[in-house]
Amino acid sequence: MTNQVKVTAAAAPVKKKKIPSLDRKKSRAGWLFVLPFIIGLIFIYFPILWESISYSFYNYTSVKGIVTKEFVGFEHYTTAFTGDAKFAQSLLTGLQEMAFDIPAILIFSLFVAVILNQKMVGRAAFRAIFFLPVVVSTGVMESVMSSSYGASGNQMDLGMEEGEEAVEELATSTAIEGLLVSIFSSLGFGTGLVTYISSAVASISGIINRSGVQILIFLAALQSISPAIYESCQIDGATSWETFWKITFPMVSPMILVNAVYTIIDSFTTDSNSVMQLINNTYMGVEAGAKHVSAAMGWMYFLVVLAIVGIVAGIFSMYVFYQRRD
Amino acid sequence: MTQNMDNKPQVKRESKNKIRVDFERTSLKERLKAKYLSSYFAKNVLWYIFRLLLLIGIAFVILKPFYTMIMRSFMEPENFVDATVVNVPRAFSAIIYKSIIVDLEYFKVFFLTLALSLGCALLQTFSCALVGYGLAKFKFRGAKAVFLLVILSLAIPHGTMQSAIFYRFQHLDIFGIFNFLAGGARTGIEGIDNILSKIKILPESFVGGISTIRSVVPILLLSVTGLAFKNGLYIFLLRQFFRGVPDELEESAYLDGANTFRTFVQVILPLSVPMLITVFLFAFCWQWTDDFYIPLFFTGQPPALMTYLPQIDEIPITLATIYTQVTHSSGAYKKAIVYGCGLMTCAPLIILYLFCQRYLVQGIERSGIVG
Repeated sequence: MTNQVKVTAAAAPVKKKKIPSLDRKKSRAGWLFVLPFIIGLIFIYFPILWESISYSFYNYTSVKGIVTKEFVGFEHYTTAFTGDAKFAQSLLTGLQEMAFDIPAILIFSLFVAVILNQKMVGRAAFRAIFFLPVVVSTGVMESVMSSSYGASGNQMDLGMEEGEEAVEELATSTAIEGLLVSIFSSLGFGTGLVTYISSAVASISGIINRSGVQILIFLAALQSISPAIYESCQIDGATSWETFWKITFPMVSPMILVNAVYTIIDSFTTDSNSVMQLINNTYMGVEAGAKHVSAAMGWMYFLVVLAIVGIVAGIFSMYVFYQRRD
Repeated sequence: MTQNMDNKPQVKRESKNKIRVDFERTSLKERLKAKYLSSYFAKNVLWYIFRLLLLIGIAFVILKPFYTMIMRSFMEPENFVDATVVNVPRAFSAIIYKSIIVDLEYFKVFFLTLALSLGCALLQTFSCALVGYGLAKFKFRGAKAVFLLVILSLAIPHGTMQSAIFYRFQHLDIFGIFNFLAGGARTGIEGIDNILSKIKILPESFVGGISTIRSVVPILLLSVTGLAFKNGLYIFLLRQFFRGVPDELEESAYLDGANTFRTFVQVILPLSVPMLITVFLFAFCWQWTDDFYIPLFFTGQPPALMTYLPQIDEIPITLATIYTQVTHSSGAYKKAIVYGCGLMTCAPLIILYLFCQRYLVQGIERSGIVG
């Protein structure tokens, strides 16, 4: 017995070769796969973040290429509120816009996804048209379009547009708005709802152009619902209205959460957003420390939106339905 | 009971393998009536029509600006003075396009942009696929934190960090090592500073890091590391897709002796082509129309050889004289020029989209994004 042990010990020298378990191997491989991102975070992204944060707390003065920093505390933050930039006011408008846009985009994109998911003539063509804004409606096209459709993608800027088409379109859009207002108020809805719907109609092109990705995601979610569930619903005699609320809606609810978060992030990072415009304008400003104030604004704005994302995600995730798999 | 017996179809055997069934069929008129005069049918037809109209309306809203842009960019300058001309030009002229192609050197810019966008999109797709795969298929400590950082990198608007991004790439350095080796490091203490400034391992130009501004280096670095425009979204989409790929595929590849990377390249990537095309399409198009990073990294005087497409919306030289002549409606004409530039910018994208949109829907559909 003891002999045998000695023999094996001699055959395999003291160097213990430890074979890593599959789990450890896999976790190492996992790190290797995310390595590019981690390297980027450490060498590029975190320094940028750090620089940007310190920008909002320091004053930089550059003498002959040598930069000296001077800590000023929350001075830039207070300037953002007390200066002539009207940050607080613009933040409030921006949040109002967001509170209006996000439900509108979510409802619209779910509705369109449901319709595009049904069989009909020219479905492929409609899909192709509906996702067109995903491809072209960023950056440049937004600025080109905005020369005719105003900053927020809808309001006509009469001072800029001289063709009569503008006047005509404005007239029809206000006419429709007026008609809607009269219809809904005669039906006895509150003024809040009426103004919401009429302004949603007025900014429909902006909403359509910004909901491409959301429609795509909802469509994917709808496709993943098993047709067997719908079939059994039909056999049990459920109407399509009931089927929508009892089956479709719960099944896509995880994607409502994803889309809500994506829409919030997307709508607050676009340049057409009024707060972003203010931040960019401040950045371009000539006064001393304009860039620092703009950085301070940016960080405050980011924190506010992060809080909103947190609240929305928290509320939504309470109601999200996850289908049990297996 | 007897009635039932009467209505029962009567089966007659005609020959060995032929039978004849006689029964009273409801008349065609009755059958049509039952089918088409029901409330169920009417409801369906109404819904169908409503749906079609709605979709056509929305498609109109999407396509209308393009129609206006195309029509206006083909108008003669005189048409803008004419009040009777609204959208259809009275006289066609391609002068705007001619001047864009000749004056703004459209094709040179086109190929430069194509090379840049293609390179960036390929890099972004590959590195996002790597990161997404790592997050989807491997359990390791910190995976959740990395995923959170991915979402965070998507959520922080780049606009707020403009100056910091610029500064970072103007003084690109790895924790001050380049600066130190070139003798640029300072501590504020006289004696140590003297010694530090004697270090001359790297040339003088490395003091304060390497300036990568006015080159493609910053944008390529951001692409490789998955930090460029909206890369967080691509990582998210790919992660969701890879989570839906059954583990058995990889397990069998491991059993056959492939390592993780080889499994990824030879087994996983080929079966995720639709999703990869989707991400590539996003990356390519959003890089093509990027008007944040390119102006930022090529700031100041635009370098002679590199004027990328999003910047061509300036007024071409040959049009400048005509432009001043039509003073009465110069605003409208200027806008027509901008429209022409915008169309020329996104025309290649639309052509690409027409070829790839099949995969766009397919890729997302198969992503199994739910769950």
